[in-house]
Amino acid sequence: MQHRILIIDDEDDIREVAAMSLETVAGWEVMVANSGAQGVLRAAQYQPDAILLDVMMPGMDGPTTLRELRGNPATSRIPVLFLTAKVQATERRRFADLGVQAVLVKPFDPMTLSVQIAGVLGWE
Amino acid sequence: MKPAQAELLAAAMDRLWKQHLPELEDRVAVLEAAATAAGAGTISDQLREEAHFAAHKLAGVLGTFGLAEGTDLAREAERFFSGSDEEGWISQERISQVPIQLRALMAARK
Repeated sequence: MQHRILIIDDEDDIREVAAMSLETVAGWEVMVANSGAQGVLRAAQYQPDAILLDVMMPGMDGPTTLRELRGNPATSRIPVLFLTAKVQATERRRFADLGVQAVLVKPFDPMTLSVQIAGVLGWE
Repeated sequence: MKPAQAELLAAAMDRLWKQHLPELEDRVAVLEAAATAAGAGTISDQLREEAHFAAHKLAGVLGTFGLAEGTDLAREAERFFSGSDEEGWISQERISQVPIQLRALMAARK
């Protein structure tokens, strides 16, 4: 089944690799946003099946973006997965407690990223 | 994953690596400048923060391009410049070697 994913990340390299990985390996439709603010708008506009959201971004960071998404009825029910290079377990727990479906860790393996996401969201 | 998909993905990764290498090299240059300034005792708060950010970003991306050792090195630099290495496990001498080792790894990936 083709899913629609929105990737919100300020880093061009990570955004492009993740997008290419999900398109090539899983055949999903991928939309991208390079900031939290742009991501909030695109999420409302495109209604993706899930959002992959970077934690550490300049301006509106991941947790702030998540609050905006949850506060908008148009996006409040879209599953969100954090993507972070933070390695400490306490930090990951703090992020998980914000109400995301999962916290995925950078660096990720482009070969298996879609499998990770599908596993968390119960997609076949 | 089908073999054809794996080949397609590997080729795309090589293309993206070449495309983004200049940005990655810029981040290593920030680490080098910060390590030099830290060694001389002249590092500013701004440069330390820039180096922390550059190290964090390198840690997040190098392993994705197959350079797991690069991620480990960048994490050392991230700890050093974030000030979270309170026990002083990471020496000044060590941190000055990180940009050199990162460059060697990245050159080998080319």
